[in-house]
Amino acid sequence: MSDMSSEHVAKIIDFLRNGRKAEDVSLEDVMRLAELMAESFQSFFKTMDLAIYTELGEMAREIANMKEELALLRLSDMRDEHIPTAGRELDAIVEATEEATNTIMSAAEEIMAADADDNDAYQALVGEKVIDIFQACSFQDITGQRISKVVSTLNALDKRITTLVEKLKIMRITDAAGEETASEKRARELMLHGPQFKGEGVSQDDIDAFF
Amino acid sequence: MALDTSIPVLVVDDYKTMIRIIRNLLKQLGFEDVDEAADGTEALGKMKERRYGLVISDWNMEPMTGYELLKQVRSDSSLSKTPFIMVTAESKTENVIAAKKAGVNNYIVKPFNAPTLKSKIEAVFGD
Repeated sequence: MSDMSSEHVAKIIDFLRNGRKAEDVSLEDVMRLAELMAESFQSFFKTMDLAIYTELGEMAREIANMKEELALLRLSDMRDEHIPTAGRELDAIVEATEEATNTIMSAAEEIMAADADDNDAYQALVGEKVIDIFQACSFQDITGQRISKVVSTLNALDKRITTLVEKLKIMRITDAAGEETASEKRARELMLHGPQFKGEGVSQDDIDAFF
Repeated sequence: MALDTSIPVLVVDDYKTMIRIIRNLLKQLGFEDVDEAADGTEALGKMKERRYGLVISDWNMEPMTGYELLKQVRSDSSLSKTPFIMVTAESKTENVIAAKKAGVNNYIVKPFNAPTLKSKIEAVFGD
Protein backbone atom coordinates (compact mmCIF):
# COMPACT_ATOMS: atom_id res chain seq x y z
CA MET A 1 0.00 0.00 0.00
CA SER A 2 3.08 2.19 0.20
CA ASP A 3 2.59 3.54 -3.34
CA MET A 4 -0.99 4.58 -2.74
CA SER A 5 -0.56 8.27 -2.12
CA SER A 6 -1.51 9.65 1.25
CA GLU A 7 -3.44 12.34 -0.65
CA HIS A 8 -5.72 9.69 -2.19
CA VAL A 9 -6.20 7.87 1.08
CA ALA A 10 -7.06 11.16 2.76
CA LYS A 11 -9.62 11.91 0.03
CA ILE A 12 -11.36 8.56 0.54
CA ILE A 13 -11.35 8.93 4.31
CA ASP A 14 -12.69 12.47 4.02
CA PHE A 15 -15.43 11.28 1.73
CA LEU A 16 -16.47 8.47 4.04
CA ARG A 17 -16.27 10.60 7.16
CA ASN A 18 -18.00 13.60 5.71
CA GLY A 19 -21.31 12.99 7.36
CA ARG A 20 -22.52 10.48 4.78
CA LYS A 21 -25.43 8.52 6.18
CA ALA A 22 -27.08 5.64 4.36
CA GLU A 23 -30.18 7.67 3.44
CA ASP A 24 -28.06 10.57 2.15
CA VAL A 25 -25.94 8.55 -0.25
CA SER A 26 -26.79 9.37 -3.83
CA LEU A 27 -25.81 7.69 -7.06
CA GLU A 28 -23.50 10.67 -7.58
CA ASP A 29 -21.79 9.88 -4.23
CA VAL A 30 -21.31 6.23 -5.15
CA MET A 31 -19.84 7.18 -8.49
CA ARG A 32 -17.56 9.74 -6.87
CA LEU A 33 -16.36 7.12 -4.39
CA ALA A 34 -15.78 4.61 -7.19
CA GLU A 35 -13.82 7.25 -9.08
CA LEU A 36 -11.70 8.03 -6.04
CA MET A 37 -11.06 4.36 -5.38
CA ALA A 38 -10.16 3.70 -9.01
CA GLU A 39 -7.76 6.66 -9.07
CA SER A 40 -6.22 5.66 -5.75
CA PHE A 41 -5.72 2.02 -6.62
CA GLN A 42 -4.25 2.93 -10.00
CA SER A 43 -1.14 4.32 -8.35
CA PHE A 44 -0.98 1.37 -5.96
CA PHE A 45 -1.24 -1.30 -8.63
CA LYS A 46 0.87 0.55 -11.16
CA THR A 47 4.00 -0.90 -9.66
CA MET A 48 2.54 -4.42 -9.41
CA ASP A 49 0.71 -5.20 -12.61
CA LEU A 50 0.28 -3.19 -15.79
CA ALA A 51 -2.88 -5.09 -16.78
CA ILE A 52 -4.65 -4.20 -13.54
CA TYR A 53 -3.46 -0.65 -13.90
CA THR A 54 -4.94 -0.46 -17.42
CA GLU A 55 -8.19 -2.04 -16.24
CA LEU A 56 -8.53 0.52 -13.46
CA GLY A 57 -7.89 3.29 -15.95
CA GLU A 58 -10.71 1.90 -18.12
CA MET A 59 -13.01 1.77 -15.12
CA ALA A 60 -12.28 5.38 -14.23
CA ARG A 61 -12.98 6.48 -17.83
CA GLU A 62 -16.19 4.38 -17.89
CA ILE A 63 -17.42 6.05 -14.73
CA ALA A 64 -16.59 9.51 -16.10
CA ASN A 65 -18.48 8.68 -19.34
CA MET A 66 -21.47 7.41 -17.41
CA LYS A 67 -21.60 10.63 -15.40
CA GLU A 68 -21.62 12.63 -18.64
CA GLU A 69 -24.35 10.46 -20.14
CA LEU A 70 -26.49 10.78 -16.99
CA ALA A 71 -26.08 14.54 -17.11
CA LEU A 72 -27.33 14.48 -20.72
CA LEU A 73 -30.52 12.74 -19.58
CA ARG A 74 -31.42 15.92 -17.63
CA LEU A 75 -33.30 13.93 -15.02
CA SER A 76 -33.51 16.93 -12.69
CA ASP A 77 -35.50 18.77 -15.40
CA MET A 78 -38.06 15.99 -15.22
CA ARG A 79 -38.25 16.23 -11.43
CA ASP A 80 -38.21 20.02 -11.14
CA GLU A 81 -40.17 21.06 -14.20
CA HIS A 82 -41.90 18.46 -16.37
CA ILE A 83 -43.53 16.27 -13.69
CA PRO A 84 -44.83 19.20 -11.57
CA THR A 85 -46.18 20.80 -14.77
CA ALA A 86 -47.93 17.55 -15.71
CA GLY A 87 -49.45 17.47 -12.20
CA ARG A 88 -50.77 21.02 -12.66
CA GLU A 89 -52.19 20.08 -16.08
CA LEU A 90 -54.05 17.13 -14.52
CA ASP A 91 -55.39 19.34 -11.71
CA ALA A 92 -56.60 21.83 -14.32
CA ILE A 93 -58.32 18.99 -16.23
CA VAL A 94 -60.15 17.84 -13.08
CA GLU A 95 -61.19 21.43 -12.37
CA ALA A 96 -62.39 22.08 -15.95
CA THR A 97 -64.38 18.86 -16.18
CA GLU A 98 -65.96 19.51 -12.78
CA GLU A 99 -66.90 23.04 -13.77
CA ALA A 100 -68.37 21.89 -17.10
CA THR A 101 -70.29 19.06 -15.43
CA ASN A 102 -71.77 21.46 -12.89
CA THR A 103 -72.79 23.92 -15.62
CA ILE A 104 -74.41 21.17 -17.71
CA MET A 105 -76.19 19.66 -14.72
CA SER A 106 -77.45 23.02 -13.50
CA ALA A 107 -78.83 23.77 -16.97
CA ALA A 108 -80.52 20.36 -17.13
CA GLU A 109 -81.95 20.79 -13.63
CA GLU A 110 -83.37 24.21 -14.54
CA ILE A 111 -85.01 22.72 -17.64
CA MET A 112 -86.42 19.86 -15.55
CA ALA A 113 -87.83 22.27 -12.98
CA ALA A 114 -89.25 24.77 -15.52
CA ASP A 115 -92.97 25.25 -15.96
CA ALA A 116 -93.83 23.84 -19.38
CA ASP A 117 -97.32 25.33 -19.32
CA ASP A 118 -96.01 28.77 -20.23
CA ASN A 119 -94.89 27.77 -23.71
CA ASP A 120 -93.03 30.96 -24.72
CA ALA A 121 -91.12 31.27 -21.45
CA TYR A 122 -90.35 27.56 -21.50
CA GLN A 123 -88.98 27.69 -25.05
CA ALA A 124 -86.83 30.73 -24.23
CA LEU A 125 -85.44 29.04 -21.13
CA VAL A 126 -84.69 25.77 -22.95
CA GLY A 127 -82.95 27.70 -25.77
CA GLU A 128 -80.84 29.63 -23.31
CA LYS A 129 -79.87 26.53 -21.29
CA VAL A 130 -79.02 24.54 -24.42
CA ILE A 131 -76.56 27.30 -25.38
CA ASP A 132 -75.06 27.07 -21.86
CA ILE A 133 -74.64 23.32 -22.37
CA PHE A 134 -72.94 23.78 -25.75
CA GLN A 135 -70.57 26.36 -24.29
CA ALA A 136 -69.72 24.14 -21.33
CA CYS A 137 -68.83 21.30 -23.71
CA SER A 138 -65.96 23.39 -25.10
CA PHE A 139 -63.93 22.12 -22.12
CA GLN A 140 -63.21 19.02 -24.19
CA ASP A 141 -60.97 20.96 -26.59
CA ILE A 142 -58.84 22.48 -23.82
CA THR A 143 -58.62 19.30 -21.74
CA GLY A 144 -57.69 17.36 -24.89
CA GLN A 145 -54.72 19.67 -25.39
CA ARG A 146 -53.73 19.41 -21.73
CA ILE A 147 -53.92 15.60 -21.86
CA SER A 148 -51.66 15.60 -24.95
CA LYS A 149 -49.05 17.57 -22.96
CA VAL A 150 -49.23 15.09 -20.07
CA VAL A 151 -48.88 12.16 -22.49
CA SER A 152 -45.77 13.84 -24.00
CA THR A 153 -44.27 14.17 -20.53
CA LEU A 154 -44.97 10.51 -19.76
CA ASN A 155 -43.38 9.47 -23.06
CA ALA A 156 -40.29 11.59 -22.34
CA LEU A 157 -40.09 10.14 -18.82
CA ASP A 158 -40.44 6.61 -20.17
CA LYS A 159 -37.63 7.24 -22.68
CA ARG A 160 -35.29 8.70 -20.07
CA ILE A 161 -35.94 5.93 -17.53
CA THR A 162 -35.37 3.29 -20.21
CA THR A 163 -32.09 4.97 -21.15
CA LEU A 164 -31.10 5.21 -17.48
CA VAL A 165 -31.84 1.52 -16.92
CA GLU A 166 -29.75 0.65 -19.97
CA LYS A 167 -26.84 2.89 -18.97
CA LEU A 168 -26.74 1.60 -15.41
CA LYS A 169 -27.34 -1.98 -16.53
CA ILE A 170 -29.98 -2.22 -13.82
CA MET A 171 -31.66 -5.09 -15.68
CA ARG A 172 -28.82 -7.34 -14.59
CA ILE A 173 -29.75 -6.86 -10.98
CA THR A 174 -32.62 -9.06 -9.82
CA ASP A 175 -35.53 -6.91 -8.75
CA ALA A 176 -35.92 -7.03 -4.99
CA ALA A 177 -39.43 -7.91 -3.88
CA GLY A 178 -40.87 -4.64 -2.57
CA GLU A 179 -42.92 -4.65 0.61
CA GLU A 180 -46.62 -4.14 0.16
CA THR A 181 -47.63 -0.65 1.26
CA ALA A 182 -50.68 0.00 3.47
CA SER A 183 -52.65 1.43 0.55
CA GLU A 184 -51.71 -1.52 -1.68
CA LYS A 185 -52.84 -3.92 1.05
CA ARG A 186 -56.14 -2.06 1.43
CA ALA A 187 -56.70 -2.04 -2.35
CA ARG A 188 -56.00 -5.80 -2.53
CA GLU A 189 -58.16 -6.75 0.44
CA LEU A 190 -61.08 -4.51 -0.52
CA MET A 191 -60.81 -5.28 -4.24
CA LEU A 192 -60.28 -1.65 -5.25
CA HIS A 193 -59.31 -2.05 -8.89
CA GLY A 194 -60.92 1.09 -10.29
CA PRO A 195 -62.53 1.34 -13.71
CA GLN A 196 -61.60 -1.33 -16.24
CA PHE A 197 -60.83 -0.69 -19.90
CA LYS A 198 -63.56 -1.35 -22.43
CA GLY A 199 -64.08 -5.07 -22.82
CA GLU A 200 -61.96 -5.98 -19.79
CA GLY A 201 -64.48 -5.98 -16.97
CA VAL A 202 -67.72 -7.92 -16.77
CA SER A 203 -70.61 -6.33 -18.66
CA GLN A 204 -73.92 -5.26 -17.14
CA ASP A 205 -75.56 -8.09 -19.11
CA ASP A 206 -73.21 -10.66 -17.51
CA ILE A 207 -73.94 -9.22 -14.07
CA ASP A 208 -77.69 -9.32 -14.73
CA ALA A 209 -77.41 -12.96 -15.76
CA PHE A 210 -75.45 -13.70 -12.59
CA PHE A 211 -78.12 -12.07 -10.44
CA MET B 1 -97.45 -3.79 -8.50
CA ALA B 2 -96.37 -0.15 -8.84
CA LEU B 3 -93.00 0.90 -7.47
CA ASP B 4 -93.36 2.56 -4.06
CA THR B 5 -91.55 5.84 -4.65
CA SER B 6 -92.38 7.21 -1.21
CA ILE B 7 -89.59 5.21 0.46
CA PRO B 8 -86.57 7.13 1.74
CA VAL B 9 -83.45 6.39 -0.30
CA LEU B 10 -79.86 6.82 0.84
CA VAL B 11 -77.30 7.50 -1.91
CA VAL B 12 -73.69 6.90 -0.87
CA ASP B 13 -70.89 8.23 -3.07
CA ASP B 14 -67.77 10.31 -2.53
CA TYR B 15 -68.36 12.21 -5.79
CA LYS B 16 -70.91 14.96 -5.36
CA THR B 17 -71.54 14.93 -9.11
CA MET B 18 -72.50 11.25 -9.03
CA ILE B 19 -74.83 11.85 -6.07
CA ARG B 20 -76.41 14.70 -8.05
CA ILE B 21 -76.84 12.46 -11.12
CA ILE B 22 -78.43 9.63 -9.11
CA ARG B 23 -80.60 12.07 -7.18
CA ASN B 24 -81.92 13.55 -10.46
CA LEU B 25 -82.51 10.13 -11.97
CA LEU B 26 -84.39 9.06 -8.84
CA LYS B 27 -86.42 12.26 -9.03
CA GLN B 28 -87.35 11.40 -12.62
CA LEU B 29 -88.49 7.99 -11.37
CA GLY B 30 -90.62 9.68 -8.71
CA PHE B 31 -88.39 9.27 -5.63
CA GLU B 32 -88.41 12.57 -3.74
CA ASP B 33 -87.09 11.52 -0.33
CA VAL B 34 -83.39 11.13 -1.06
CA ASP B 35 -80.59 11.49 1.49
CA GLU B 36 -76.88 11.37 0.80
CA ALA B 37 -73.63 10.27 2.44
CA ALA B 38 -70.04 10.66 1.27
CA ASP B 39 -68.73 7.27 2.46
CA GLY B 40 -69.64 4.09 4.32
CA THR B 41 -69.02 5.51 7.78
CA GLU B 42 -71.33 8.47 7.25
CA ALA B 43 -73.92 6.19 5.64
CA LEU B 44 -73.86 3.75 8.55
CA GLY B 45 -74.36 6.63 10.98
CA LYS B 46 -77.37 7.86 8.99
CA MET B 47 -78.81 4.35 8.74
CA LYS B 48 -78.71 4.01 12.51
CA GLU B 49 -80.70 7.23 12.86
CA ARG B 50 -83.25 6.59 10.13
CA ARG B 51 -84.76 3.54 8.47
CA TYR B 52 -84.14 3.71 4.71
CA GLY B 53 -86.15 1.76 2.17
CA LEU B 54 -83.21 1.51 -0.22
CA VAL B 55 -79.45 2.13 -0.17
CA ILE B 56 -77.62 2.88 -3.42
CA SER B 57 -73.88 2.85 -2.78
CA ASP B 58 -70.61 3.29 -4.62
CA TRP B 59 -67.85 0.75 -3.85
CA ASN B 60 -64.60 2.73 -3.85
CA MET B 61 -64.70 5.28 -1.01
CA GLU B 62 -62.53 6.38 1.92
CA PRO B 63 -62.38 5.54 4.77
CA MET B 64 -65.16 2.94 4.60
CA THR B 65 -65.89 1.39 1.21
CA GLY B 66 -69.31 0.41 -0.08
CA TYR B 67 -68.32 -3.24 0.25
CA GLU B 68 -67.48 -2.78 3.94
CA LEU B 69 -70.73 -0.85 4.40
CA LEU B 70 -72.66 -3.72 2.80
CA LYS B 71 -71.04 -6.25 5.15
CA GLN B 72 -71.72 -4.05 8.20
CA VAL B 73 -75.35 -3.59 7.17
CA ARG B 74 -75.88 -7.29 6.63
CA SER B 75 -74.28 -8.17 9.97
CA ASP B 76 -76.46 -5.71 11.92
CA SER B 77 -79.81 -7.31 12.71
CA SER B 78 -81.61 -3.94 12.74
CA LEU B 79 -80.35 -3.04 9.26
CA SER B 80 -79.81 -6.39 7.59
CA LYS B 81 -83.04 -6.40 5.59
CA THR B 82 -82.38 -3.03 3.92
CA PRO B 83 -82.34 -3.38 0.12
CA PHE B 84 -78.84 -2.53 -1.13
CA ILE B 85 -77.77 -1.75 -4.69
CA MET B 86 -74.10 -1.32 -5.54
CA VAL B 87 -73.42 1.28 -8.26
CA THR B 88 -69.74 1.17 -9.12
CA ALA B 89 -66.97 1.32 -11.69
CA GLU B 90 -65.53 -1.86 -10.12
CA SER B 91 -66.41 -4.40 -12.77
CA LYS B 92 -64.07 -7.30 -12.06
CA THR B 93 -65.71 -10.67 -11.63
CA GLU B 94 -64.31 -11.00 -8.09
CA ASN B 95 -66.06 -7.76 -7.07
CA VAL B 96 -69.44 -8.92 -8.37
CA ILE B 97 -69.08 -12.33 -6.73
CA ALA B 98 -67.93 -10.82 -3.42
CA ALA B 99 -70.82 -8.34 -3.39
CA LYS B 100 -73.34 -11.09 -4.16
CA LYS B 101 -71.84 -13.27 -1.44
CA ALA B 102 -72.05 -10.36 1.01
CA GLY B 103 -75.75 -10.01 0.27
CA VAL B 104 -76.09 -7.19 -2.26
CA ASN B 105 -79.51 -7.09 -3.95
CA ASN B 106 -78.27 -5.80 -7.29
CA TYR B 107 -75.16 -4.47 -8.98
CA ILE B 108 -74.88 -1.67 -11.52
CA VAL B 109 -71.70 -0.88 -13.43
CA LYS B 110 -70.86 2.78 -14.11
CA PRO B 111 -71.50 4.47 -16.44
CA PHE B 112 -75.16 3.58 -16.41
CA ASN B 113 -78.41 5.13 -17.64
CA ALA B 114 -81.81 5.84 -16.16
CA PRO B 115 -83.54 2.72 -17.56
CA THR B 116 -80.82 0.51 -16.01
CA LEU B 117 -81.24 2.15 -12.60
CA LYS B 118 -85.00 1.85 -12.88
CA SER B 119 -84.91 -1.81 -13.89
CA LYS B 120 -82.56 -2.71 -11.03
CA ILE B 121 -84.69 -0.91 -8.46
CA GLU B 122 -87.73 -2.69 -9.84
CA ALA B 123 -85.91 -6.02 -9.71
CA VAL B 124 -85.01 -5.43 -6.05
CA PHE B 125 -88.62 -4.75 -5.16
CA GLY B 126 -89.88 -7.63 -7.27
CA ASP B 127 -91.76 -5.57 -9.87
